[in-house]
Amino acid sequence: MAKIGIPRTLAYFLYFPFWNAFFMELGHEVIVSPPTTKAVLDRGVEEAVNDACIPIKIYHGHVAKLIDKVDFIFSPRLVSLRKHGDFGTETFCPKFLGLPDMIRVSMDRLPPVIDTRIDLKAGKDELLNVCKETAFFLGMTAEKVIFNAYKKALKKQEEYQKILKEGILPPLALDILEGRKKRKEIPRIEPELNIAVVGYPYVIYDPYVNVGLLKFLEQEKVKVYTQDMLSNKELNGQKKYIPKSLFWYFSNRAVYGGLYYMKRKDIDGIIHVTAFACGPDSMVDRLLEIESHRHGKPYLAVMVDEHSGEAGVRTRIEAFVDMLRYRRG
Amino acid sequence: MKTGYLGVDVGSVSTNIVVIDEKGEVLSARYLRTNGKPIETVQGGLFSVGEEIGNKVEIAGVGTTGSARYLISMIVGADIVKNEITAHAVAASAVVEGVQTIIEIGGQDSKIIILRNGIVTDFAMNTVCAAGTGSFLDQQANRLCIPIEEFGDYALKAKNPVRIAGRCAVFAESDMIHKQQLGYNTEDIIAGLCEALVRNYMNNVGKGKEILPPVVFQGGVAANRGLVAAFNKYLGVEVIVPKEHGVMGAIGAALLAREAVKKTGKTNFKGFNIKEINFKTDSFECNGCSNACEVVQFYENGELIARWGDRCGKWEMSTR
Repeated sequence: MAKIGIPRTLAYFLYFPFWNAFFMELGHEVIVSPPTTKAVLDRGVEEAVNDACIPIKIYHGHVAKLIDKVDFIFSPRLVSLRKHGDFGTETFCPKFLGLPDMIRVSMDRLPPVIDTRIDLKAGKDELLNVCKETAFFLGMTAEKVIFNAYKKALKKQEEYQKILKEGILPPLALDILEGRKKRKEIPRIEPELNIAVVGYPYVIYDPYVNVGLLKFLEQEKVKVYTQDMLSNKELNGQKKYIPKSLFWYFSNRAVYGGLYYMKRKDIDGIIHVTAFACGPDSMVDRLLEIESHRHGKPYLAVMVDEHSGEAGVRTRIEAFVDMLRYRRG
Repeated sequence: MKTGYLGVDVGSVSTNIVVIDEKGEVLSARYLRTNGKPIETVQGGLFSVGEEIGNKVEIAGVGTTGSARYLISMIVGADIVKNEITAHAVAASAVVEGVQTIIEIGGQDSKIIILRNGIVTDFAMNTVCAAGTGSFLDQQANRLCIPIEEFGDYALKAKNPVRIAGRCAVFAESDMIHKQQLGYNTEDIIAGLCEALVRNYMNNVGKGKEILPPVVFQGGVAANRGLVAAFNKYLGVEVIVPKEHGVMGAIGAALLAREAVKKTGKTNFKGFNIKEINFKTDSFECNGCSNACEVVQFYENGELIARWGDRCGKWEMSTR
């Protein structure tokens, strides 16, 4: 039995349930790094290459938190999850592709990194192959055991996806899935506004990175919708509304999610949360802005940065919420 | 006694205080430099407003806005705390009927607000770039040894504005120096700077916005006639600079206060003479987790009345 470390960022917010269940079924212990704090960010800034974006720096900070506490760090090479886009070229952002290499080069005293290449373009069975490879890494070769763990993991992930589809945000959905919180404990509020918040999961769900955005919206009695509450069918159905999809998986999800909610009458406005120095977002943001205008939907871009200045973000969000309230009358 | 409403706008560079009457007419206005001391500035400013109109006007509502709006709300006893964008939009709508575009340039930020049928439909603020804001103009005026009040008039005297790179304050400055060293006259350089700032504003804050007249230009920088001329030239319409352009945020806060007390029926106003009250802040670093938040504590006459700055809410106690 080994201790497997998983950083609480990037793909964590969407795909943790699968890998957590998989490793546990194989008899290992999963250790998640603590929630992002200033210290995690500072450490990440120290460790990572200078020109990386904030999320990548934060990832380094989370990895650092796991050193000395785990036997392995699970940092898969995230290449692609599906055949999608023009000529099937959709991948993760290039930095995800080089993630295991980046941490290996930048960081000292790193435990062995499980850097399985996750490229599911070839088809459905690919995920099982990825699981096999990951299990081999940990010395498990019994195909039947691996297959069972894979099945259990798939089930867990489906369960998670179902909770998200109910309109529950990932941090809370993870709590419900793990039994830390019960559904009936969630206070029901009558929302005064409905806002779609789109962007990368590691930007919009991490309470440190989003400078309290979701909390503030909740206080203002706003019901938040995100792209991750939509089914793949609902998301991919948006592809036809733009001349060309983007190259990057998470970017496509954000754009499709935005497009979906723009067409919904009950949604009062769209907020795009973007991280400073994100290359793909220079396109995502402009695309969402243009499309929002075309649909006559109020749109706000919020940029988060290292300096964690809450005031600027707060002023913008307050003004945006005010504006939406006046529009409703 | 007349009924009045107090609006206080405390920004990075200036602190503005106004009192308006029931109809929205300005009874008293102060445009002060914040000088990094928001509490003392407001105390002093309020005292002087009180001396001017305190025995003629009874304050029935108070609103605060600007980046220090939460802090100041506790000092003056505000009935409403609002962000600058809403405050500016409310003020401009009251002053210029049917306004569709608001250009607001302040000390360290600049914004654009788009209204249609009296409702804000879109807005933007400058992000990381401060080129074109009041602070930069202040600094350049200083460097050229021209009083900031005359800066705009120099621009109007220009015959051939020189082209200056306005993309970035640092580049703009080195470009200006370069042009000076080549022998261009000061008027043409200042006019060129005004045009560069307008270009930068339009490409940065105004990017993708549908700018329709009437266009209102407000904020401290609207006093600069060179910039007004540059905006007129760029937009091809005459921008309207309201008489009270420098204190529009405060007027908006006062107007919002007028609305707010209609519902509550009373005000929290502490009076003009808050100079006697001893307001103090101190801060400490919380060791509860590795966020190491700097928590600010606010005291009134030695009594702790508010605390903020923590991310988790463990220490928070305030009007927020």
